[in-house]
Amino acid sequence: MSLDLQRVTKRFGGLRAVGGVSFSVPDRSIFGLIGPNGAGKTTVFNLITGVYKHDEGSIRFGGTDLAPLRPSQIARLGVARTFQNIRLFGQLTVLENVLVACENLRRSTLTSALLRSPFFYKDEQEMTERALSLLSVFKLEEMADEISTSLSYGNQRRLEIARAMMLKPKLLLLDEPAAGMNYGEAEGLKQQIRWLRDTFDITVVLVEHNMQVVMGVCEEIHVLDHGETISHGTPEAVRRDPKVLAAYLGEEVEDEARPAAAAAAEERA
Amino acid sequence: MPRPLKRVITALVLLGVVVALEFGFETVMPDAAWRQLALFAMVNVIAALSLNVINGMAGQFSIGHAGFVGIGAYTGAIVSGNLHQQLGGGDPLFGNSFLVMPPALLASGLVAALFGLVVGLPSLRLRGDYLAIVTLGFAEIFRLTIATATTGAAEQGTVGRLLGALGGQIGYAGPDDTGVPQYGGPFWIFGAVVLATLIAWRLKFSGWGRALRALREDEIASAAVGVDPTRYKVTSFVISAAGGGIAGGLLASMRDGNPTIQPDQFTFSYSFDAITMVILGGSGSVTGSIVGGVLVTFTVKLIEQLQGLDSVLALKAAYPALDLNALRMVLYASILIGLMILRPEGLFGERELFGRRVVRAKRPPVGPAEPVPATTGAEAAAERPGAPPEEQPPGTAVEHEVKPTGREFE
Repeated sequence: MSLDLQRVTKRFGGLRAVGGVSFSVPDRSIFGLIGPNGAGKTTVFNLITGVYKHDEGSIRFGGTDLAPLRPSQIARLGVARTFQNIRLFGQLTVLENVLVACENLRRSTLTSALLRSPFFYKDEQEMTERALSLLSVFKLEEMADEISTSLSYGNQRRLEIARAMMLKPKLLLLDEPAAGMNYGEAEGLKQQIRWLRDTFDITVVLVEHNMQVVMGVCEEIHVLDHGETISHGTPEAVRRDPKVLAAYLGEEVEDEARPAAAAAAEERA
Repeated sequence: MPRPLKRVITALVLLGVVVALEFGFETVMPDAAWRQLALFAMVNVIAALSLNVINGMAGQFSIGHAGFVGIGAYTGAIVSGNLHQQLGGGDPLFGNSFLVMPPALLASGLVAALFGLVVGLPSLRLRGDYLAIVTLGFAEIFRLTIATATTGAAEQGTVGRLLGALGGQIGYAGPDDTGVPQYGGPFWIFGAVVLATLIAWRLKFSGWGRALRALREDEIASAAVGVDPTRYKVTSFVISAAGGGIAGGLLASMRDGNPTIQPDQFTFSYSFDAITMVILGGSGSVTGSIVGGVLVTFTVKLIEQLQGLDSVLALKAAYPALDLNALRMVLYASILIGLMILRPEGLFGERELFGRRVVRAKRPPVGPAEPVPATTGAEAAAERPGAPPEEQPPGTAVEHEVKPTGREFE
């Protein structure tokens, strides 16, 4: 198992944002985490990446307990993520944005940077080459020297994924990658996610509202509502689960609606 | 030219210039007042360069830089004063300065760095503006501790005696009260500026500086790609404090006709001036800090000179109520406000006066970004090997020429 959550609970004051959530993400799978707004999906991401610390339960990645680790240490273990609201390094260029994410690969230290040793140049060259080849994968190479915030929305999203991939992650967490995309773009995204998994041998966990993407690309889906698990299984199974339908569309109300409407009509008459 | 050779030649040329300045400075600048001002400007440049590391690059607002400069000044004065005694006193000779200045400056930097660590470690773990409050408090505590120490017969206890030895409000004038030896000639001051610039430049244009700037832009995102915010912030703060300390050490032994160190040199207004230099030149810009440091020092001096103009003195005679000193501050503030309106990002923004060495060739203009990723990464990578090689414009930087294709770089 790549990622393993056991009865994870997170409270913000009196609010239980995540309550006793358990799931395991198999190695090299594409795993979906869905649920209505406010279900706690992004909170789960923040718990995995260490932005928040869980109050109860355990989160393990490849056998390592993530509880005592800081976000930067978790990232260096190979857990990369993107953000729901894009978080790029605004004043840095596209290339620099990607280059920042080489903390776990860079071997030249502060001293060698100050001395400008040959080792420093070699390391910098290697990192730049790696970053540029990643940018070319995401079709951003042409814009390598532009300030990242000047990019279009779609390119910013792709740059965020490119930056995450620079870490050589084993696990990639994508937070609503299809937000703001149209049908065609979402189709492209589906292929990109599969391609990423196949090419880089990574595990992908996806938080997404776009059902076209989730149902099309995920092999396993975990459904949250109000911070609790309501369903888990293959896309087909989840799609048919009445609890999931209820969470998204509301409870099915059969006999009460009609008499009430009839009564209202009678009153008017 | 191969890189090592180029470096050796550059170093020799710079060394030559600095040595020439040591002996020829009086010829270049015959006026003693201007000479002192130029040296003071250089010390300010070092203070600005070091402050730029934490304020400009790391984006953490420190408003107590005068504290570190002050600590460096007192440390440097104590070390050089005592070493001077060991060497038998007399005139500070250039030859002896090689025995005095290195240990004095090293001590200044180290002691200031130590205080930087003590101040930075607790306050930089937190996000937000805590650093501003803590550094302001620290600088004032440092200054007042020395300024209010009782001197003379009233000294009590070991700590009291040690603090009293620093001279309180009157100032420290070496171990035997004959003044801090003035070893800091143009060689040391200009040399230190060259070194500080080199260090600041190399810090900025390295993976370390990049991570620091990323941290400034978004702390959460930088942690998510493996940059440890606390470590980077504390390291940069300690480096900044050390630089401030060295500026102070130079200030103490500078030949400015004032062989004492007074606590009043390190008030909040000096911190404020240092911030002005950084912001005026452009936060994060190394060359900006240099220009800012020189500009602020000379602007303040220039306004002082304006006060001596006949027309201004005539005005003063006509209106006795006119407070020239207040007018000076009004003028200074107006210049700052004007600059901030015209160039809110400072003179250079984050850019540098000189372009970076690796200048990428101008690429053909990028068309409107395709709204639809019609080809996926997979297709793009598949296309790559077949792509015609002449899509690279001639003269493209080396990094672009050896471009692995998407599939091969793993």
